[in-house]
Amino acid sequence: MIESTIILILIALGLMLIAWHRHDGSHRKGALVGWKTLKRTLPLLIVAFIIVGYVNALEPQTLVQNWIGPGTGLQGVLIGTAAGMLLPGGPYVVFPLIAILFQSGAGLGPTLAMITSWAALALLSVSFELPFLGWRFTVLRLALGISTPLLVGFLGSRLAG
Amino acid sequence: MKKLKVDWTLVALTGVAFALAGVAWWKGGQDLALEGLRQGFQTLVSVTPMLLAAFLTAGLTNVLISKELVERWLTTSAGWRGILLGCIGGALIPGGPYVYYPIAGSLLKSGAGLGVLVAFVTAKNLWSISRLPYEFALLGSHLTLVRYALTFIFPPLLGYLAETLFGNTIQRIRESVQ
Repeated sequence: MIESTIILILIALGLMLIAWHRHDGSHRKGALVGWKTLKRTLPLLIVAFIIVGYVNALEPQTLVQNWIGPGTGLQGVLIGTAAGMLLPGGPYVVFPLIAILFQSGAGLGPTLAMITSWAALALLSVSFELPFLGWRFTVLRLALGISTPLLVGFLGSRLAG
Repeated sequence: MKKLKVDWTLVALTGVAFALAGVAWWKGGQDLALEGLRQGFQTLVSVTPMLLAAFLTAGLTNVLISKELVERWLTTSAGWRGILLGCIGGALIPGGPYVYYPIAGSLLKSGAGLGVLVAFVTAKNLWSISRLPYEFALLGSHLTLVRYALTFIFPPLLGYLAETLFGNTIQRIRESVQ
């Protein structure tokens, strides 16, 4: 985790340098946008991590492994896909929850299916898609898009359960 | 009086947190109920440096890539070139669904093809650069790399399939929105 932190900090510093080099206050603007996002999402972050803490403390290993553990095959991938569609909120809420399920024993396939399905098929973002692109487009995209979590989940299961 | 806006995600998640606290209390009394809180805050504190860097990175990407640029690129391109530009535009465009769907809507109105639009939305969902720092920080580098590698082919592939199989329905899609 320390390496990841260092890499992210280096990326942030690199971008800061590029923004500063523009000489138009982009670096200050960028930092401000980041800060505002953080302030707005802080309550969600705290609640998400409280959930993570309880999931951790309750030790749901058996439950997680029975539903979406390695070796649950198609069932795990389908449950992961369905759960991903229903997960509410942005990445800072969803990723800690998926991470704790993975640590509690979810298989790679179901976990990847959940991430991908949240990213591509989340029902909350479909409510933005409908008014701007219409139902024909939305239905078509979802019909094509459902292939992604299923295939990725299947490949993940084959790779590592 | 300021109108109170309810954040339903926060309400739902708070409900889940209370339910889990209840389960913990029922299973292990006060000790387990407090233990959950303690572990949650401990995890949050341990990822805080990474989260700060992630929010800074996301904010800077947001400012460095202009929406206008992406929009200008995508309106006039078609064919394979259009699908690939759609993918790159989707990967680069910052912001949530309230940002990229209105942009996709205006691309649709100004004449973009079905393949370009599907590639754009799918790449936003699967290749998003602005989400990468959060994914990296919260899910870890291993899961993130495997996920990106396995989903890499989908934005151009689905764009191509949509264009080849249903490209001729774009006029009806356009009419259904106007």
